[in-house]
Formats: sequence, structure tokens, C-alpha cells
Amino acid sequence: MSARSIPPILVVDDNFDNAEIICQFLESKGHPVLVAHDGDEALAAFETVRPILVLLDVMMPGRNGWDVCRVMKQHPEHGRNVRVIMVTALGEWDDKQQALQTGADDYITKPVDLPNLALRVERNLALLTTTE
Amino acid sequence: MSAGTILTDDPEAVSAEDAESRSWRIDVRIGDALLDAIDAVHDLRAIVVTTENPSLQRMLVERARGRRIAVVMGCTDDTMRRRAVELRVDEWYRTAAPSEEVTWRIHAAIARATPSGAEVAKRVENVEYEEMLYDALTGLPTLPVMIERTRAPFKERGELVVLYLNFVRYSKLEEIYGWEKLDGVLESTSAAVREFLDENKLRTTKMMVSFTNDDDFIFFHVPTEHARAATDREITDMTVRLQQHVGARLEAAHGEEIATLVDVYVGSAHVYYSPKIRLERLIYRGIREASNAAKGVEERERGRRVADLRQTLRDRSVYVDYHPIVVAETGKVFGYESLARGVMRSLRSPEVMFEVAAQADLVWELSRLCRTRAIEAMPQHLTGDQLLFLNVDPHDFFDPELDGFDVEDPKCVVIEITERTAIKDYPKFREKLQKFRDRGFRFAVDDAGSGYAGLGSIANLEPDFIKLDISLINSIDTNFIKQNLVETMVGFATQHGAKVIAEGVERAEELETVKRLGVHLVQGFFLHRPGQLGVRAPVHAVGLPG
Repeated sequence: MSARSIPPILVVDDNFDNAEIICQFLESKGHPVLVAHDGDEALAAFETVRPILVLLDVMMPGRNGWDVCRVMKQHPEHGRNVRVIMVTALGEWDDKQQALQTGADDYITKPVDLPNLALRVERNLALLTTTE
Repeated sequence: MSAGTILTDDPEAVSAEDAESRSWRIDVRIGDALLDAIDAVHDLRAIVVTTENPSLQRMLVERARGRRIAVVMGCTDDTMRRRAVELRVDEWYRTAAPSEEVTWRIHAAIARATPSGAEVAKRVENVEYEEMLYDALTGLPTLPVMIERTRAPFKERGELVVLYLNFVRYSKLEEIYGWEKLDGVLESTSAAVREFLDENKLRTTKMMVSFTNDDDFIFFHVPTEHARAATDREITDMTVRLQQHVGARLEAAHGEEIATLVDVYVGSAHVYYSPKIRLERLIYRGIREASNAAKGVEERERGRRVADLRQTLRDRSVYVDYHPIVVAETGKVFGYESLARGVMRSLRSPEVMFEVAAQADLVWELSRLCRTRAIEAMPQHLTGDQLLFLNVDPHDFFDPELDGFDVEDPKCVVIEITERTAIKDYPKFREKLQKFRDRGFRFAVDDAGSGYAGLGSIANLEPDFIKLDISLINSIDTNFIKQNLVETMVGFATQHGAKVIAEGVERAEELETVKRLGVHLVQGFFLHRPGQLGVRAPVHAVGLPG
């Protein structure tokens, strides 16, 4: 990875306020952030911008987070180079099993606790840099 | 060819290289000239605005919106940022952001600004369409693509051979090891098949298809001009060699355990071109015929294996491999899991052996033999307080002979019950378990965490050991959800006085991770391979740094 390369984090949330809070927080930590407000927009952004990390809300109208995660992870070129953190209201066993099935790498429960979010983002980014 | 023009008032926003890599033409205009250019430039895709003049900002955004042009705003401070949000620009960045960031912001803005999301939907459709046409894992084209490609040569040559490759028990792989493993095996398989065909006489006209995310492959062979089509005999010959080749490759890449688990059966069909019948129909008919032929081969093989199994039961030709389970912290051998294998190669894999037994209704007979064999060697090999872990299917508990199952010291035996088999008569099952418990036997729940069953059903069995499903351990070092599930399980087990065993530990990183999560016992190829007791040395030392 060249020094000037700064692939963004994609934040997907249908709630504009939530997205804004997460976005501002991550930017204050020095991460460039791109926001999408539904599944289709997220996939379009995924295609054009190629984020390295996706924070994906599960409950969205239309294409839900599980679907989006599955499509991203199955992408022939980019699927292996992206890490997906699911943002979910439930922290139940079944939910985690489903997250594993769709190929997600991590999860965070709602309401999002910002320091915890920072921790999850950092540990996933760390794995990305060490595996390259 | 230009991908469009980007209009901006900041010559530094996008570097020449970045613009060139996206085939954008960058047009720099300052002040009101920017406003005029919105209508003048015909292939305008986006404008990047950094002016701090609020009225100009507003006019630019309104004019651009009227023409459905994406707007990206470079903001110098928070006030400007708030204004960008109020004006609902498509993207914004903080000046001076690196050119690369501005570039992908422009991309995202263009995707967002396109009318009523039509382009977005189209792009998503494209992604999905690609997925339908090419299998993501193997990169092989799927059937619709292949029919189109075969059309002309088939018509010209007048004949076509369809080979149907049916890979059996791949779904079992997913069940046992998780989808990551299955994906890996499918990838090696398709590579091996391609490699084989490349070295083969069918090379000249080979074409392959796979069904998306399934484990069957189809291969179309159109004989080249002046060459005859492969005869049935040649195809049969090739099939045998193909099976060997795939088997060898899988063994090299994933080990014997997996290579002996899967089988490949090949069926073929000859299709002759007829102008009266639609080409697709001819091909589909050929595929069906070839698939039936593959099933026929599978049936015959199954019959052979049932005969093998009957003989195995008669001769008691089952041997037992012992797979050490070690204490995570010290690396000391805590006990052994017994794995019964058929002496005949066709029955080497325990999964295959029991599948054949189920088809022939011989499960209890086979289970009895395996149990007896496993405990025969026990007294001379277990030292100190080492335990023997014995797999017992829940159905076996309804075998009347199991009640008479006896060993010298039941405290040395841990009965492993798989969580995968549905237990029908739960109260009766628990009653049976209790009887064994009273006699001193201990229990382990096998494959825990594999299904949606959750912790409640595990608690019901009151196990002494909880064996985590292999799919949870595979790549656990990079998957935080797996780590969380395992941590939960360890906490739950500790609460209930049980110990957790992680099986399928294949890499140092996996071992480190499960140790960190507090897993008590570990088992896997990274530590020991299954073998005859007292014969194999450990592969790696545990508990030592590095």
C-alpha cells in the first residue's frame, strides 16, 4: 500500500443522525469516512470506492444488512479485501450465527458506544495492515 | 476516452495522475466562471467547490442540481461544513484532503447524484448479474454463458459430449468445517479439474461450467474438426484418472481427512445437433442424461461400498486412530479421541463409513464394532488419569446392546454426543444418559455452537466437556464474532462446571487465540495428528513461546 493511499471506511445506516454521529466520530479519529443510507447505495459505493472496512447496519428498509454483507463478501475481486462489522440491535446467539454465515468479521451492538466502536474499527484495520 | 469532465475552482483538488487514472478531464474555473461553465460543459459529471462565498455556493448547488450534476464541497472549517450539510451536497471533504480522497468522494457523489437512483440500481444489478454469470469462487462461467459459447462450435461440428461431474459430500464438508473450508476445497477442486483437462486429450475443445455456489461441474466437449469425439471407453478411463488427480490434489492441499471424505462421480452423454430442436433444449437434455449417468455410477459405487461394509463387519476390520486432546496451557496429553476407520480404503473416512452404514441400515452394528475396537486398546495405552473420548450417536442410546456396554473403569471414558443429530425423544434420552452417568461415565457435547441451537440445549445435557464446532475455530484469529462466541461458551462452561475443548486447531495463530480466550483443552493437526497410540510424536510443542 502506498503512503498516500487512504481507503475509506464505509458507514451504512438508514438513520441520518446515527450515520452522522458515527461519521463525525471516526473522522475525528483521522479516518476518512463515506456514508450510504441504504443497501443499494452501499453496494454502489462499494463498487466505485472500494472501502476497506464497512460498518453495516442490519435493519434497513429494502436490502438489509445481511444481504449487503453477503454480496460484498462474494465479490470476486474485492470480497477478500474488505472487512465487515455488523451493527445490530440484537446481541443474541442466533444473530451472531447469522453474521458468521454471511461472512461478517465483527459486530457491534446498538446503541453504538463510541469508544467501543473505535476499538472495533482499530482492531479490524490492524488485521488488514498485518495481512498485507 | 474521457469519462467526463470534473469542474472545480481548486486546481490542487485532484492530482493529474488521479484524474488520468479515472479518465477525467479537470476544468478549473474561478468564481462566477464556474457557474457559467455548468451549462456550457456538455459531459460534466461533477463539480468540486471550495469557494467560501455562501451565495455563490447556493447558486452552484442549485444550478448543478437542476442538471443532476454531482456536487462535492471542500470545506475549510466547521461553519462551511454545516453549510454543506444544509445545502445537501452529495459529498464533502475537509481541505486540503489528499487527492485520492477527493477522487473517491467524487466517485461516491456521482453515484449518489444520478437521477432517482436509476444508475445505482443498474450498478447493483450489474454486480448481481456478474455473480450469476460467473461463479465467485471458481471463476468459472455458469450455464447461460456456456450455452452461448458452445452454440456455434456445436452447430458446426454437429456433436457434443456433456460430462457431468458430481462431487459428493461437499455439503458435509460445510457441515463439519464451515463454509470457509468448503470454499477452499471447491477452489482447489476446480483448479485440479482444470489442470487435469489441460494435460488431457480433451484439451483442445474444453469448456467448463459450474452452477453458482454449488458443487457440481459440467464440462462440454466439442470434438475438433477431423478428430473423432471421445469414446465412452476413453471417457471412463479419463474419469478414473480424474478422480485420482482430484483426490491427490485435495490430499496435498487439505490433508487425507478431507480427501477421503469427498468423492467425484462422472457421467457423460452424447448430444447430436438437430436443426429441428432448439439448441438449448438439446443441451439441457444432454445435461440431464449425463447427470443421470453420474447418479448411476454413484449407485453402483454405493452398492459396492455396502458390500465392503458387510465384509468389514464380518472380519471386524476396523482400526482405531487416537487423536490427542491436550491441556491448552501445558501441552500435556489430557486424553484421546478415538476415531474408527475402515481398513478398506473405500471406508477409510469415518463419515463415509457411517453414511454407508445408514444407507444399509447397519449403524448399530457398525457402532458396536467401533466401540469395542476403541476400548480394546484402552487399558494398555492410557496412562495416569488420561481419558478416552468415544463418539456415540444419540440414536445409539436406543440400541438395546448399549445398556450392556461396559468398561473396566467408566471414569476414564467420556461419551461424546454430537449436537448435529436431532434428538427426538428428549426425556427418554436424558434418562438413558443419567443411567450412564450414575455408572461413572462422563459426557461431552460435540460440535457445540454449530447450529442455531444455542446454549440452552447444551445446558440441558449437563455435559462435563463442551467440544466447540470446528467451524468456530477455523480462522478464529481474524474473526471477532467467532472469538466472541467462543468466549461466551467458555464463560458458560465455567459457570456449569464444564471444560471447553477446541478441536480443529490447525495454525499457531488459532492456538494462541483460543488460549487467550480461556479455552481449557485443545485438539488439532497443529498439535498432533491422529495416529496409533504410542506411535506418533507431537507435531508442535504447546505452551512454549514461538
